[in-house]
Amino acid sequence: MREISIVGAGMTKFAKMPERDVIDLGREACIKAIKSSGVPRKDIQIAYCGTARTGQLLNRECGVGQTILLDIGISGIPVTSVGNFCASGSSALREAYLAIASGMYDVALAIGVEKLSVRKGKGLPLTSDGVTLLTALGFSPPAYFAEIATRHMYEFGTTEKQMALVTVKNRGHSRYNPNCQYQTSVTVEEVLASRPIVDPLRMLNCCPTTDGAGAILLCAKDLAWKYTDKPVDIIASSLHFGLYEKNKDMTTFNSDRASGKEAYEMAGLGPKDIDVAEVHDCFSIAEILHYEDLGFCPRGEGGPFVEQGKADIGGEVAINPSGGLLSRGHPLGGTGLAQTTEIFWQLRGEADKRQVPGARVGMTHTMGGFQDSIELADVASSCIHIYRQGW
Amino acid sequence: MNQATFDKERIDPVLADMFIPPSSHDNETHLVASKCNKCGVYFFPKRHICPNCFEEGTLEDKYLSNEASIYTYCVVRAAPVGFDSPYILGYVDLPEGIRIFTMIETDNMDDLKIGARVRLIAGKIRRDENGEDVMGYKFSVMKER
Repeated sequence: MREISIVGAGMTKFAKMPERDVIDLGREACIKAIKSSGVPRKDIQIAYCGTARTGQLLNRECGVGQTILLDIGISGIPVTSVGNFCASGSSALREAYLAIASGMYDVALAIGVEKLSVRKGKGLPLTSDGVTLLTALGFSPPAYFAEIATRHMYEFGTTEKQMALVTVKNRGHSRYNPNCQYQTSVTVEEVLASRPIVDPLRMLNCCPTTDGAGAILLCAKDLAWKYTDKPVDIIASSLHFGLYEKNKDMTTFNSDRASGKEAYEMAGLGPKDIDVAEVHDCFSIAEILHYEDLGFCPRGEGGPFVEQGKADIGGEVAINPSGGLLSRGHPLGGTGLAQTTEIFWQLRGEADKRQVPGARVGMTHTMGGFQDSIELADVASSCIHIYRQGW
Repeated sequence: MNQATFDKERIDPVLADMFIPPSSHDNETHLVASKCNKCGVYFFPKRHICPNCFEEGTLEDKYLSNEASIYTYCVVRAAPVGFDSPYILGYVDLPEGIRIFTMIETDNMDDLKIGARVRLIAGKIRRDENGEDVMGYKFSVMKER
């Protein structure tokens, strides 16, 4: 299989932007990615665009990618929409990666975009896609993660303070990231005093509703030198649909464990080799599970891991130096490629005041979506990429 | 809720095939599952084909046990439209070897804990757009003896 490098990355600021539409957001991310890469538009041979809710919210099921590309003077190439829940953008990157790895194409563009601020129900949790039965019984994503938190606290003694510390860490990072919806630090006391959403989760344990886009330009590694002196190699790409089983232990995500294992094997690396990771902190408890499922700490020790500063910049592995979903917000399809953009900048040493010193190897992890099942609990998609400095 | 006077007309159509509400000749509520007569595994709600055996005609309808224990729970404060907050959701373990997502109710929040015994009842789940009760099944925390 051919080796792949990222040569350009770009993203919009993530925020509620009522005046901007999904095409406008995607266009900005693509322009930034292309201009940062030095790749002439005529070299781009194929594109994938990840979205999760443009059908339901904007009456635009197909053609988001095509419309964005047409707007910036690219037409006639294969363009495919990729829908894969919260991992839609990451899955678009994976498809682009596979297209080049196969040898059929040399240069590909991945786009991820979403406009969530148009949804109704301000102040209420986003409902999940296609879960009629669960919704009839009062389900929402924060309820699911709150159930996980209750069980994790019961089995391992994880505390509300430890969950709050995830938010405190990520919001602390956000002060140095102008692309985040929230760019202010918060204290443990502020998290614990914020509005209850679903006990034991409060408002500041939950990521906000946001609009935003990211785009990544990638090519075969042997061509990367044409475009940049500092390519960032993708050394692993893995994706799993939920691994559903009866009586599943809800303090771990089977899909994440499978994707993590496969990614480490593909990269020939282990958790100790990761310097910086952008993980899917849709809720603070989720990040605690990710420490464990991605192998950064043993089972049940995610709470102490954050409490002891091991997930800080300067700790064992810098988790979410961008501020994460808790600060940046989570425009479903937009999230994955914002994560990749952050890692691209981190490995190139371009992350300004939030730079992880000496970061050479990075990871992105995006997960989410639910099956409409009463008795099977996992997330519907988990997508992991591992990256390394390519120079 | 007086189980004998349960209004069948108000059952959420989405939930209608999943349970049998109480009636004049049976005061109990029943969850209807599929059991595979080949591998012996229960599935709730009912399935069209056993996902383990992948053969036609191995599934039969079975009532699940009416008592379970709480595996985990949460208390919803920011409720979706039609739901009255606070309300409790959770996963409960049934003796048939399956864990299911369900609404839970209790008279006393101190009784709500992992491992607590719960009993299946029929009752109100939410309100419709006219403010009328929409009915379904849920589990109620049992008093400790």
